Amino acid sequence: MAVDADVVRLRRGDLNALSELITRYQNRLYRYLLRIVRQPAEAEDLFQQTWLRVVEKIRSFDASRNFDAWLFTLARNLAIDHLRRIRPQSLDEPLANSWHSETVADRIPCKDHTPLDHALAAERRTEISEAMAGLPMIYREVLTLRFEDEMKIEEIAQVTAVPVSTVKSRLRRSLEQLRYALEARYPGGTWQ
Amino acid sequence: MNEHDKIRELLALAAADALTSAEEKQVAEHVRSCIACSNELEAWRPIASELRRLPTPQPSSWLVQATLARAEAKLTEQAEHDWNRRVMIVVVAFAWLLTIASWAVFHVVSGRFERLLGPQFSHTWISFAAFTALEWLAGGVAAVMLAIRQRGERRLV
Repeated sequence: MAVDADVVRLRRGDLNALSELITRYQNRLYRYLLRIVRQPAEAEDLFQQTWLRVVEKIRSFDASRNFDAWLFTLARNLAIDHLRRIRPQSLDEPLANSWHSETVADRIPCKDHTPLDHALAAERRTEISEAMAGLPMIYREVLTLRFEDEMKIEEIAQVTAVPVSTVKSRLRRSLEQLRYALEARYPGGTWQ
Repeated sequence: MNEHDKIRELLALAAADALTSAEEKQVAEHVRSCIACSNELEAWRPIASELRRLPTPQPSSWLVQATLARAEAKLTEQAEHDWNRRVMIVVVAFAWLLTIASWAVFHVVSGRFERLLGPQFSHTWISFAAFTALEWLAGGVAAVMLAIRQRGERRLV
């Protein structure tokens, strides 16, 4: 069933619609929050708070708007408030811990690749995720929304409440910083 | 800034598929004739590709279940709150209707008393105000008692 139909049902107080929406968005929303706050325990708390906020505000949601953008905006506002309260410096500063985690699907071997290919690919993913974790929050955010959530630039602009030109400029700077970080961390590696 | 520099700034966005169709065309035309930009674009590709393939961290099933339970409780609480509000609106409207209707009754009754007790007794409005105050006081006490009982029931649940 379409998201719109679930949203309409949720506005009427349908518990099943809420369950379907949570199931549908759980991975994307959790990943987004984890990329922003970088601590699983904090991401879990914000995940719960976001859905409680959805229940509170669903009646004020304009059905002509994109639900994805609205949901991520709620999550973003909560995450930013949380970071301002808990670690004001964390909006700009990198963190030593990595948020990288591997899923079961990532461990399933592919017939076309040798174990060495897998080891190299895993290493590259670790390198890039660690470098990404070291970027400022607004850069991590734009990278995850564009590459992992595959949001359009206009949708990212809605979520982050900035003009499209700013999103493009942030995306370019985030990629440049990521590449710089990769080249600095792994000189002579495959990133150069 | 010359054409080459402008295109170079667009290469990272090209790898991110974040260009307009006009910009894409510009970049494609330029890299055909510029080896440096062509190489630079190729350098961006693996970064963009790996970013798209980063593993997705999964929330635990416990988290999803706990979230669902909390959100459902909130939804139920909101529905109950809405119902109480609707009942309160009806009760208040009924109380006002009763108050206005009782004015006419009071007027007639106090008029008879006035005739029985003499011309000094002309306190229709005071009597009416006292009756209204008593009515609202009784309503308020009932509302407080109901709220206390409801809170007690919630504690037991």
